[in-house]
Amino acid sequence: MVGATALSLEGLVAVDADVVRLRRGDLNALSELIARYQNRLYRYLLRIVPQPAEAEDLFQQTWLRAVEKIRSFDASRNFDAWLFTLARNLAIDHLRRIRPQSLDEPLANSWHSETVADRIPCKDHTPLDHALAAERRTEISEAMAGLPMMYREVLTLRFEDEMKIEEIAQVTEVPVSTAKSRLRRSLEQLRYALEARSPGGTWQ
Amino acid sequence: MSEHDKIRELLALAAADALTSAEEKQVAEHMRSCIACSNELGAWRPIASELRRLPTPQPSSWLVQATLARAEVKLTEQAEHDWNRRVMIVSVALAWLLTIANWLVFHFVSGRFGSLLEPKFSPTWISFAAFTALGWLAGGVAAVMLAIRHRGEKRLA
Repeated sequence: MVGATALSLEGLVAVDADVVRLRRGDLNALSELIARYQNRLYRYLLRIVPQPAEAEDLFQQTWLRAVEKIRSFDASRNFDAWLFTLARNLAIDHLRRIRPQSLDEPLANSWHSETVADRIPCKDHTPLDHALAAERRTEISEAMAGLPMMYREVLTLRFEDEMKIEEIAQVTEVPVSTAKSRLRRSLEQLRYALEARSPGGTWQ
Repeated sequence: MSEHDKIRELLALAAADALTSAEEKQVAEHMRSCIACSNELGAWRPIASELRRLPTPQPSSWLVQATLARAEVKLTEQAEHDWNRRVMIVSVALAWLLTIANWLVFHFVSGRFGSLLEPKFSPTWISFAAFTALGWLAGGVAAVMLAIRHRGEKRLA
């Protein structure tokens, strides 16, 4: 626990130092920030927009916007929240531009593709365990992709990015109470969708 | 709303570890005596657990390289823009300073340094004043144009 706290503090200090260097126009600092955030940011965008190509374009736009706006970044704020807010605003503008109703629509794609890590066998689990786990993951990712954008977003921020409610509120620019009730509603919707997919199945 | 219903609403958030410490305490206390809520929390747990274990898609190295390349162009543009702006600001300030200095030199050379605030409306004085006014006006116009351009760029960004 102490080790994890020290590591996260170390990470924060490194981010702060990179932000200061980026403000001075240091490209290496940007490279380090991208390396640190690329997976989280890309995943977040993929959960919001329907196509990977759109997520890729928004990924680039987010970093370009970050470069443009880094001087106006308030160092007392959380860089994660600031970066994700930039990405969110760009994604919402994009969705509104292509189709305003798409904010409430489910994603056409689903992103339950197996990773290399998923395919590595574990000696504690039988092939059947693996098959069941993969099936559950597929079910949950498909059910999640069927939710409106604001619910998908809050789920990915909480469970995949492990953001606290206060940070989610910052990113989504809503009060903490709204972020909390949105998280509750998104979980309820997800459970409803899972139960509808397999009545009497594993999720009940 | 009964205590039981209130706790039931918190169970999804409990599985998401998104309760305040006071709420956590409330839920834990209620769980000791309510099997229904305990089972309900048990139903939420696997959902939360699977959500945490969803695979993380990774951007391609091409995407990261392309982003860095575009950002480098942007940083270079920004640096050039900053340099141009600084040069313009210094030029405007210098133009104003020079016109002020001209007056001082003029009055010092003509031996009428003390008469700086006592204008003599001779043709020389008027043409020198016109020259100064023109310099100041040009500096002022450049400063305003600089501000407008800066505001426009900020709006576009």
